[in-house]
Amino acid sequence: MHIVDGALAAPVVIGGAVLAAGGVARGLRDLTLEKTPAAGILSASFFVASLIHVPIGPSSVHLILNGLAGLVLGWAAFPALFVGLLLQAVFFGFGGLTVLGVNTLNIALPAVIVHYLCRRGLARGTPRIAALWAGMGGALAIALTALCVGLALALSGEAFLPAARLVFLAHIPVMAVEGLLTAAAVYLAAQVKPDLFTTVQGPQR
Amino acid sequence: MIRPLALMLALAMAPLPALAHKVVGGAYADGALIEGEIGFSNGDMAADALVEVFDPAGTRLGGTRTDGDGIFTYRPTAAVAHVFRADLGAGHVAEFTMSAEEVAAILDSPAARAAAETGQAAAPTEADGAAGMAGNPSTFPLGPGPAATAAAAPGLSDADKAAIAKIVRDEMRPLRREIAAYREQNDLQSILGGIGYIAGLFGFGFYIAARRRLKA
Repeated sequence: MHIVDGALAAPVVIGGAVLAAGGVARGLRDLTLEKTPAAGILSASFFVASLIHVPIGPSSVHLILNGLAGLVLGWAAFPALFVGLLLQAVFFGFGGLTVLGVNTLNIALPAVIVHYLCRRGLARGTPRIAALWAGMGGALAIALTALCVGLALALSGEAFLPAARLVFLAHIPVMAVEGLLTAAAVYLAAQVKPDLFTTVQGPQR
Repeated sequence: MIRPLALMLALAMAPLPALAHKVVGGAYADGALIEGEIGFSNGDMAADALVEVFDPAGTRLGGTRTDGDGIFTYRPTAAVAHVFRADLGAGHVAEFTMSAEEVAAILDSPAARAAAETGQAAAPTEADGAAGMAGNPSTFPLGPGPAATAAAAPGLSDADKAAIAKIVRDEMRPLRREIAAYREQNDLQSILGGIGYIAGLFGFGFYIAARRRLKA
């Protein structure tokens, strides 16, 4: 999931960095007092979850939890995931500092997309319906991330279809696991702390 | 509530195949040659991968291929920094540099000079390899061992020295690999350190946000 230093063409790296900076700035404006602790904990979850790598074929997969981060945080997922990625790059050399922008974009943009697609379903349904939406959101976030990674590789000259297909196929098991995990987490949250998806969001935009 | 749960789940699953799957590689002096290896941090080696060699300015100096164990050799000709680069596909690129001083030391080593001399005197194939660089085959003829070996055992023939050097290299290889794997290990301290950084950062953000709200 993490693209390493030197695998991408310079325009892709720069473009990714600019877009990611914009996303982080937008996210920081959204990071209210209520959301900050949640953002910290989701950032830490992402940081740890990404350390569990399971090799599949020539690539490797790991849980990302960006769907869950997006559902809870919205735009604030950008800074949360950025911090996680930055520390992974510094501590473990996953990805790299130059491709940090592209990696942030690949992981945080799907989170934001999923947030906008699923927030209505989360806010009004019963816990069961919320869990259903969350499951779809969690799986969709991974699918979109795989697509973004394929796209980034394609823009750097690798043939899009083989690269994207490989990344996508490798992530089908992750999509299933993430969907279930996100659904379980949201089901629990909807039962014990139903206001997580309404008050923490602040005023609806 | 759910987030600690997710965190606990992640931690509970951590001892499972907790392998970082990144590309690792390294190059070191090997008599008159540069020997290097490329593989993934889970222990798989990159077999038969094209390794290209550049100088720092990006000019291509040559290329070689890894053998079945992910090991390649390259004979340097100029005392500049050598950048080794191998594209393993799907976003996996190995790139590492050997500094100009190290390369100069190889070119300057007694082994390199001896290799050039004995190559010219005894083995024409080696002289060809040293002079022509034709393709830089990955199984390069081994040069005689380092000067220390020669000094310690003056009675040995060149063939003996080469054989001893080869044995020592073969014995060292698993050790090198072990060290490379050890260096890639994610120990608990770094993970906890990372979590600490995250807590601190967001705590700081929380503080700023709270101050701003108090002022307003």
